[in-house]
Amino acid sequence: MKRYFANKKAIAVFVAPALLLFLIMVFYPLTQMFVKSFYAWNGLSTGKFIGLDNYIRLFDDTVFQTSIKNGLIFSLFITVFQISIATVLAIAVSNIKIKGRNFFRIAYFLPVVLSITVVCQLWLSVFNSEYGMLNRLFELLHMDYAQDWLSDRHKSIYVIAFVNAWQYMGYHFALLLAGIKSIPKDYYEAAQIDGASTVEAHRKVTLPLLSETYKFCLILSVTGGLNAFTNMYIMTGGGPGTSTYTLTYMMYSSAFRAYEYGYGMSAAAFLVIECLIATLVINKLVARERITY
Amino acid sequence: MFTQNFKKALSLLLVLVLMTFMLAGCAEAKETPTASAENNTNASNEPATASDEVITLKIYAQYADEDTKVPYDYAIEELAKVYPNVKLELDIQAQDDGQKLQSYAATGNLPDIFQIGAAQIETFKESGNILVLDDYVKSTGFGDKVFQSAQNLLWNKDGHAYAFPYAGNELVLIYYNKALFKQYNVKVPETYEELETAIHTFNENDIVPLAAFAKEKWITTSLFDVFATRLEPQGIKKLDSGEGKATEEAFVKAAERLHHLVEIGLLADGATNMNYDQAAALFYEGKAAMFINGQWEIAASTEKLGDTVDWMFYPTFSENQDAKMAFAGGGSAGGYAVSPYSEHQDLAAEVAAFLSEKYCEAKHLYRANPLLAVKIDPSLEPVNPYPPMMERLSEVLPDITSTTAFAWGLSNPQFKVLIEDQSQFLLTPDYSAEEFITEMNKSLERIHGQ
Amino acid sequence: MTMQNTTLQLRKPRKNTTGNILFKMGLWLYAMISLYPIIWMLFYSLKTNEEIFVSNPFGFPTSFQWVNYARALSEYNVPKYFFNSVIVSLGTVSLTILISLMFSYATSRMHWRGQHFARLFVSLGMFIPVQSILIPLAVLVKNLHLSNNYLTLILPYTAFNIAFSSMVFYGFLRSIPIELEEAAFLDGAGIFTTFFKIIVPNLKPAISTLIIFTFLQAWNEFPIALILITDNALKTLPLGLLFFQGQFTTDWGAMGAAMIIASFPTVVLYIFFSNQVEKAMTIGGAIK
Repeated sequence: MKRYFANKKAIAVFVAPALLLFLIMVFYPLTQMFVKSFYAWNGLSTGKFIGLDNYIRLFDDTVFQTSIKNGLIFSLFITVFQISIATVLAIAVSNIKIKGRNFFRIAYFLPVVLSITVVCQLWLSVFNSEYGMLNRLFELLHMDYAQDWLSDRHKSIYVIAFVNAWQYMGYHFALLLAGIKSIPKDYYEAAQIDGASTVEAHRKVTLPLLSETYKFCLILSVTGGLNAFTNMYIMTGGGPGTSTYTLTYMMYSSAFRAYEYGYGMSAAAFLVIECLIATLVINKLVARERITY
Repeated sequence: MFTQNFKKALSLLLVLVLMTFMLAGCAEAKETPTASAENNTNASNEPATASDEVITLKIYAQYADEDTKVPYDYAIEELAKVYPNVKLELDIQAQDDGQKLQSYAATGNLPDIFQIGAAQIETFKESGNILVLDDYVKSTGFGDKVFQSAQNLLWNKDGHAYAFPYAGNELVLIYYNKALFKQYNVKVPETYEELETAIHTFNENDIVPLAAFAKEKWITTSLFDVFATRLEPQGIKKLDSGEGKATEEAFVKAAERLHHLVEIGLLADGATNMNYDQAAALFYEGKAAMFINGQWEIAASTEKLGDTVDWMFYPTFSENQDAKMAFAGGGSAGGYAVSPYSEHQDLAAEVAAFLSEKYCEAKHLYRANPLLAVKIDPSLEPVNPYPPMMERLSEVLPDITSTTAFAWGLSNPQFKVLIEDQSQFLLTPDYSAEEFITEMNKSLERIHGQ
Repeated sequence: MTMQNTTLQLRKPRKNTTGNILFKMGLWLYAMISLYPIIWMLFYSLKTNEEIFVSNPFGFPTSFQWVNYARALSEYNVPKYFFNSVIVSLGTVSLTILISLMFSYATSRMHWRGQHFARLFVSLGMFIPVQSILIPLAVLVKNLHLSNNYLTLILPYTAFNIAFSSMVFYGFLRSIPIELEEAAFLDGAGIFTTFFKIIVPNLKPAISTLIIFTFLQAWNEFPIALILITDNALKTLPLGLLFFQGQFTTDWGAMGAAMIIASFPTVVLYIFFSNQVEKAMTIGGAIK
């Protein structure tokens, strides 16, 4: 058996396509990104090597501080929102007694299917201060909650995070559902014999057995949040001012609006390292031992 | 056993790899003409009209709304008359901050002719991705046709020409609804203090004083620029060129006063997330008393509001009453440029100059826009007579003492980003003029310090 | 094992308690909110700019602006773009699934030096902001002479998707009992037979989920397509949105129509395909 799992030829065949493609198409451009982060470069001409200057400048840049903070807020918000709601919905839909399971299963995933442009436009309309659904609703109900949702320096980032969280919750829902479906029924039977209630059975059986699924759900939403870009690009353009910048947005703005490509790359490099650390931490925190039956 | 399966898997891989190379091979075959083309740039030196051969030029231009489609279509029609053997292959420009053009340049795929903005010209010229047009400016006679006031748009500060401009010194205007001012008995503000009073009165009556689509950062830049020109006629252009400091009185006062007006309710709720359609609707429906946009808004506003709409001079500050004729806005050094790698360089340059000229004609004929870079044949009559607001503006034009620049006309891209972001920030009540000045000053020192 | 092992049946039949009813109402409410965008998008595509933003952002269109579709269609070469999108998406899906299945099998179940490093290395692909490598990628694609064919998009899309797919497959592979291979090994099956005949069928729930994910990614992708596609004949559907955005104004209605043309097929396909996936999952779970 050991020989079976250490078949060198097989390993080479299995691993080579992925590694090759990844090396050429992703890793090579990535090294370019790191290299250019040490240059003063406008993206076209021959750049000038300036050592760590770009990085030194980063730490003195208010926009960078805002971007880091926003990335963390965004990450935390979408992680909590997506994973908690997806867990509840996936468990509900996997329960045979819930009527309309098929309908729910399709409905909960649908926002993912739509293009992000459509979804952002919709929520822009909902959150609009003057004509938006939300403020009108509050007005109708005589509640004093009307806000400048997307033009407030401190609140906008949460609103944008919400839109992202809402749209991509379906990913986590689908992953968890697929995970739950591969749990053998015996485990629930065992829990039943112990006299556990539905909620308890899930807490004792489903959640622990899904630790691998949760691991990549966590990585997906945490790194996705740190990387957020398109939502703010469409909804606020990073505004008001620079208040909804994230590292990706900052990189974009530096590289393509200000033509400081090298500086933008230093922000991107920082982001990649940040994501890598987050992934390592998640890997450490979530149980690593193989699940055995 | 193992080997048999191994072969199976291997052959699968092989098929994949083969597929890749086959497809890649097709690509190579397709690409050869362009690759060899780079070597004979001078092949087409004879005048284009001499041969019957149809020459196709690639062009990268904006083509999305009336303001860009009408001039393009008109220019193409005219081109067919003068250059019957030239065909243009249009690649529509994306609203992507120049990303696509940048990657065209980086990969050596620049189209023969492309539209380019002032800031991007700087990076293109440093890297040799834009043709120096000095000779063509003379040979095509384009230079002589350019208005005296627009010469600075044609000639870069380094003394060379990189693009044929078509937009002239366009202006930022503050439009107002005469009926609303009359109804609430508000004087059309000529001074800052009168503007303050107007804001108070309109707010008391649930009218938005000024509609602005401040989600777009260029308009927030222009709004700040309007205030900056009250004490410094060069406005933000002075900061762009590095001649001025953000801590100068003109800019500090501009920031403080603009922000003060925002605090007392100059703009609609959520203005910094409002797009053009939303802000314009406020104005057209009589929910907003004033509206800020470029002079190209004249046509649309006249159509919606008829003779109840007019534009006003920007209110002045008490420190400088002479600022009435100092306008914000201005021309842009952008326009049609030519790739130095074009196979038909001379022809492309000629066509680019031709297009820019025809754009001006089209703007005059169909878009009621007399603010052009190039003089046009005086015999050309606009299809529709100019609206009254434009007539009034035309009368004032000769007396205008100074203009500045729109965001896209700024030459320093880093400053452009800075002022765009910071001016939008300034329009939110919980930002402050001090923060604005501090941030501006800190970044400007870095930008111009080197 | 029967099909029932995929669903839960707990002993105590729950009564309709208040909490239970509220919970069900919540499920319905959330479903409604999730479905609304589709209806909204349809309405949107039949309105004028003024209706979209000011007078009627949420309701039924007051007068149907079919002209939006006419404008969208006049700019769009629908059959061509559609075909391109299909080819690119299908190509990306098949390559991604195959490559990441093999890769994650080798990293999760086989033993070799550097397997953990390889896994972490490839997962880098998940968190690279794509805008940061667009220009190097464009130069690379040009130098590899990949421009002007479908691989221009398929290869980068696949390369980017491998990271996430491998991570998901890895998770699922780790929960498959080792006895599966042992049994196959004792029966004399080779590693490739075991992989394709025993392991892959067991991963059906994960595979079908990832087919959908990858397809959607490729279908809706915009930034890479914008930069890498220089040939009109290769444009994919999302690029059509460009035609309606001017410097100062945007033709939102026509853009809505374009979005309907671009994404409605995926909605329909998803609803249809989703049931197939469900079946596949059920069978997949039953094999054990």
